Amino acid sequence: MRYVLVDRFLELEAGRRAKSVKCVTTGEGFLGRDDEYPATLVLETILQTGGTVARLVAAPGTRTMLGKVERARFPSSARPGDQILCEVHAILSRPEGTMCRGVATVDGRVVGEAEFMIIYLPEALTPKESPAAREQRRLLWQSLGIPWDGQ
Amino acid sequence: MDEKEIVSKVCKCVATALGRDEDEVQVEKRLQSDLEAESIDYLDITFQLEKAFGISIDKDELFPQKIFQDEELVRNGVVTEKGLRFLEEKLPYADLGEFKKDPRVTRVPDLFTVGLLVNYVKTKLAAS
Repeated sequence: MRYVLVDRFLELEAGRRAKSVKCVTTGEGFLGRDDEYPATLVLETILQTGGTVARLVAAPGTRTMLGKVERARFPSSARPGDQILCEVHAILSRPEGTMCRGVATVDGRVVGEAEFMIIYLPEALTPKESPAAREQRRLLWQSLGIPWDGQ
Repeated sequence: MDEKEIVSKVCKCVATALGRDEDEVQVEKRLQSDLEAESIDYLDITFQLEKAFGISIDKDELFPQKIFQDEELVRNGVVTEKGLRFLEEKLPYADLGEFKKDPRVTRVPDLFTVGLLVNYVKTKLAAS
């Protein structure tokens, strides 16, 4: 995750489900008209939450990537001061990938939802991670509350 | 489950995976050429079929990728005799008659029609 759009995982069951939060601030730098937090970034929070759920059960020697997004909708917007609560469930899983459904809410109001597929690719087909980047990821996972799997 | 119900459920699976209206999906439609399925959609179709029919589909069982990767199966862009035997073995529910007359590997995706999926599901259900 180059741009981390999850502040913390509240609950995380590898391969099954997760609940995370993202607090919207005035310093986001990408706020739109009427200070609306962009729907694409809400979606990214959902995807990063689901990607972590899938990542934690990826077979050794594989990496996770986003395959596709379906049925995404954004019935309302988030604004600075809002806390986005994101809940993602894995609904179908195979060795090649995991299908997830995620919903993001602010005080019970839906600001985004989507179904999406996370796929597992051999490491050889993905960019190689340098030791420094790996250490950075380890620290990030620690701060987000993701158990470090050493991979 | 009768054939009509299988066809209906397969069409619904394909429509869901490809984001299409159900009336756009008919048995003669080719997944790639007619319904614009992309590689990732094949995995989604597999997901949908497993869920809808309660079947388990092994990796590469329904959409064998080896044909595109093995030099013994394809030479100079044409599926070899060994490749044709491989397809017959892996896709016994596919109609290879027309394909054998012009076995260019670029035509392999056209074998994958909604009807092939129906035949595949029928085979799986009969074996279970």
